Amino acid sequence: MPISNAAFVRSTIVLLAAGMIALLGIVGTSLWLVGKVQSYFTTFVEVREVRSAAGDLLSTLKDAETGQRGFVITGRANFRQPHDTARRAVSERQHARGERAARFPQYAGRTPEINRLVSEKLAELAETVEAVEQGRAAEAVAQVDTDRGRRIMDRLRDELGEIMGDADERLEESVADTLRSADALQWTTVIGAIAIIAVLGGAVIVIAQYTRDIIAARREVETLNATLERRVDERTEELIRANQEVQRFAYIVTHDLRAPLVNIMGFTSELQASLSAIQSYVLADGTTPSENDILEARRAASEDLPEAIAFIRSSTKKMDGLINAILKISRDGRRELKIERVDLKALMEAGAASVNHQVGESDGEVTIGDTLPTVVSDRLSLEQVFGNLFDNAIKYQTPGRPLRISVTARNAGRAGFVIEFADNGRGIAPEDHERIFELFRRSGTQDKPGEGIGLAHVRSLMRNLGGDIVVRSELGQGATFVLRLPPDLSKVVRSMQA
Amino acid sequence: MNGLGKEVTIVMVEDDEGHARLIEKNIRRAGVHNEVVPFTNGTDALDFVLGKDRSGLASAGKFLLILLDLNLPDMSGIDILQKIKSNTHTKRLPVVILTTTDDEREIQRCYDLGANVYITKPVEYESFAHAIRQLGLFFSVIQIPATQ
Repeated sequence: MPISNAAFVRSTIVLLAAGMIALLGIVGTSLWLVGKVQSYFTTFVEVREVRSAAGDLLSTLKDAETGQRGFVITGRANFRQPHDTARRAVSERQHARGERAARFPQYAGRTPEINRLVSEKLAELAETVEAVEQGRAAEAVAQVDTDRGRRIMDRLRDELGEIMGDADERLEESVADTLRSADALQWTTVIGAIAIIAVLGGAVIVIAQYTRDIIAARREVETLNATLERRVDERTEELIRANQEVQRFAYIVTHDLRAPLVNIMGFTSELQASLSAIQSYVLADGTTPSENDILEARRAASEDLPEAIAFIRSSTKKMDGLINAILKISRDGRRELKIERVDLKALMEAGAASVNHQVGESDGEVTIGDTLPTVVSDRLSLEQVFGNLFDNAIKYQTPGRPLRISVTARNAGRAGFVIEFADNGRGIAPEDHERIFELFRRSGTQDKPGEGIGLAHVRSLMRNLGGDIVVRSELGQGATFVLRLPPDLSKVVRSMQA
Repeated sequence: MNGLGKEVTIVMVEDDEGHARLIEKNIRRAGVHNEVVPFTNGTDALDFVLGKDRSGLASAGKFLLILLDLNLPDMSGIDILQKIKSNTHTKRLPVVILTTTDDEREIQRCYDLGANVYITKPVEYESFAHAIRQLGLFFSVIQIPATQ
């Protein structure tokens, strides 16, 4: 199916729009997913910070406690130093943890309790260390022995451990979310790529089809152009031929009409000349006509007058005959063609049957080929054409030779059907092959009656049917009339009107 | 009109008997009394001039003048002219074309083929009679060669 220009533009725009939408979808989704991954990552980092700050605080407190225990047990200053370092670091760590946890309400809520416990622990540590320094080691041991420091430490471990556990869970969730987003991003890209490939494929198909259509259309235009030129040439040739025919016709008609006219005028003058001879005798009134006058008057009355009158009459009759013949041809040319299916074989058989008697007289035979086609044409014209050809074949048969007529046909493609009508009669000399188709012209010995109208009529009938007729013959060798006939006259008529 | 003192025969090829009669009448009026042999078709005329075998030997030694019409029923006068002028025996015979045709190409063609005179028949009888009488006067003075 050929694509029209508008349809092509429409489908191209639709495909472009679809491609654009797919692309925008991919870009948008990707941006959104990347944003999501970023936010997950940020949370991840923060949660991790919260977790590590809690861990740091716990381990620093442990360091301080370990130092304290050593100092209490041994009283040696080298245990006290780690205790002091850790103790100094604790507040910093505590502050950092508080700050990190402030971003998460669930962790921030625990901060006052943790701070309280840290202060309590620090106070407990300070008490015992001070006691050891003042030499009250037993009191410090008793203080440790009360388990108060251990309980506080346990509480702190619980609090911070919960935070760390919770943070671990959240970290895991965050990793899973990130992975899901990455998956989604991958799928979006794959689906988008498929969509873009589909759109691209569609566009390629549409463009290919359109290009094919354009090429086909161009080829068609080229063929049309070529046939147009050929048709113009054919038409021009036909016109030139028709024009020459008209000129030839006018020439023949004027010449042939002029000949009897010369006679009529000539013998009218002769009549007048004879009349004066008779007048000088009949109207002599009193005077005796001379011997010569009498002789002339007698000759005029007995010879010249009847001769002149006879010639005038025959010339007038001839002119009338010519005019009637011209009228007949012109009437046939104007007759409305009745286009119908004509079985040429049946038509030819009917034509042969009508001359059966004359053919039989010379022991002759008519052969009609099986290949004769059925055409769409004017039946009456074809009957007249073949009727004339049959009559001519009988009229101009060679005496003493059995007449043989054969009719064959073949399909000549663009030229239509070619029908050959052959006889074995007296034949036509090559120089007369065109002449016999001219009006009032005949060929060979003038031993048969006729006016030279038949073949002129046949040719004009054939040309009216869009065909033509020519002859192939040698003198004494029979004649073959070659008729060209279009298979469908209605097409010829249409192309003439077009 | 004569040829080496012998009487010349006028061969008139004219399909229209009326024309033939008018031409003869007017030639006679011009004082030409040579024998006129009329033919109404080309085949018979060629039989007479060139013989049935068309060799031309049939008219050997004869003195002929041919008066030829171009429009004949059985063949073109031009074909007759061509045959006479291309035959070694008859090529010197004077041929006078006397026809109704005044087509310029036709006239040229006839002279190309060797016609000696070309005259168009006028429709007006006065002119026609005058032309034929002039031709008759012309006939009375020309010399004709014998066929070989």
